[in-house]
Amino acid sequence: MAELTEDQVRALAQALDLPLTPEDAAEVTHRLNAFIEALVPLAELPPGGPEPVPAPIDPDGV
Amino acid sequence: MSLDVAFLGAARQAALIRSKQLSPVELVRTYLDRIDRLDGRLRAYITVCRETAVEAARRAEEAVARGGPLGPLHGVAFAVKDQFATRGVRTTAGSRILSDNVPDEDATVVARLTAAGGVLLGKLNLTEFALGGTIRFPFGQPRNPWNTEHDTGGSSAGSGVAVAAALCSVSLGEDTGGSVRSPASWCGVVGHRPTWGLVSRHGCIPLSWSLDAPGPLGRTVEDCALLLGIIAGQDPRDPLTTRRPVPDYGAALTGDVRGLRVGVIRELTHGPETDAEVRDAVTAAVDVLATLGAEVDEVSLPLVSRAGAAFMAICDSEGAALHLPWLRSRPGDYDDGTRRRLLAASLLPAVLLQKAQQARALVRQQLLAALANHDVLVAPTAHRPAPAIASFTAPITSKDEAAARFFTRRSFTTPAALAGTPALAVPCGFSTSGLPLSLQIIGRRFDDATVLRAGHAYEQATDWHRRRPAL
Repeated sequence: MAELTEDQVRALAQALDLPLTPEDAAEVTHRLNAFIEALVPLAELPPGGPEPVPAPIDPDGV
Repeated sequence: MSLDVAFLGAARQAALIRSKQLSPVELVRTYLDRIDRLDGRLRAYITVCRETAVEAARRAEEAVARGGPLGPLHGVAFAVKDQFATRGVRTTAGSRILSDNVPDEDATVVARLTAAGGVLLGKLNLTEFALGGTIRFPFGQPRNPWNTEHDTGGSSAGSGVAVAAALCSVSLGEDTGGSVRSPASWCGVVGHRPTWGLVSRHGCIPLSWSLDAPGPLGRTVEDCALLLGIIAGQDPRDPLTTRRPVPDYGAALTGDVRGLRVGVIRELTHGPETDAEVRDAVTAAVDVLATLGAEVDEVSLPLVSRAGAAFMAICDSEGAALHLPWLRSRPGDYDDGTRRRLLAASLLPAVLLQKAQQARALVRQQLLAALANHDVLVAPTAHRPAPAIASFTAPITSKDEAAARFFTRRSFTTPAALAGTPALAVPCGFSTSGLPLSLQIIGRRFDDATVLRAGHAYEQATDWHRRRPAL
């Protein structure tokens, strides 16, 4: 996944009806690109691992 | 009343009150005086319940005089993060958006502390909506009692400051990814993230439903054990609380760790991000545990470096979904840092969120596998001592800066959060600049008692918890 540009981030925000000011756009773009850089390598994690259940609920304990 | 009483542990204060050696009214007034003197600078409190606290303390004193059964926290002055609902008392979550929010009922944890005899002293400052990264605090900048130019840790900032500066007996925070342990670490007090599902979230303004965990902060491990025993256990109003019986956490504090199997997490203790003073302090703490009879070895959790980013993707996405209406209707009422964090999470591609969930499952698997062969795991609570406040308020100008500021430090506290395991922060030394350092002890799910036992044994073998900031 390529890095996002500020223009792309503005377009995404507009599509979701989110108020993105010019002052916010640069930092939100940096934050999103940090997420992309950190999370994209996880695509290389081996498939067939534990299922990504959203919370650590114990069937016998809750 | 002497300074010593203000700094006494809550458990000790409760014992003195029961034996009529300490007046609850005098105790509350001592703290109110200290708040008047110190909190203009420290900004631990958003709201001080001055009149109602004195009145509750007076009733507590009368109950002692009458005799009869008293609760385990009878007459003790507690304060709670302003994320917990309090009947008739403004609950802001540290945000202008909720500046007029006055709940009509108490959060379950507040109700339980009050029912145990505790006296609610006030509501404590926090990063906005418990999210972290607040640039301008709407209710004042919390300051570290050990050096007021330095950060307190968050999000339960006031909960750490108030305990460290003796502005209350004990406090309650909420730990989503380190929000109890981080302020405990940087303010030099004890903080416990309970097993997820052990403590009710009812009445806690949510950040992340799958991660939020209310937990205590105190000047001793004993105080955290006391509070945990009061707030833990099933709550019909939080359907994800456990039905398991609540153990006697105080009875677990035997001081005996002989044969306890302790695994030192290599990547967090000896990794390149860890400050040398932090590493040395944690290594020395491990040596103390070994001297006490624990069996120590090293474990590797290769995925922990991914934990911070995975955590933020999950936590922030859950938070952004909750905040979407206000983000659209009241964006200017958020702090700039909060709004930008929520906006970024709102735009995160769904496929990356699923990758983060997969990483969460794998981190949890690695952590639980290590705990299958160890009773507890240890690591630094934070990779460095508290930084200067200014370092958190500068604008972010690159993706590398965003990653360094947000992901790195969170990789120390988020593995336990992602796995839903208990984790304790215990003071383990001071930097050469006089700032507190902290040992983190992580245990198996629902084995909070062993975590507290290990922390207590270490604490009693050292004197870090007896030191006080010069205020």
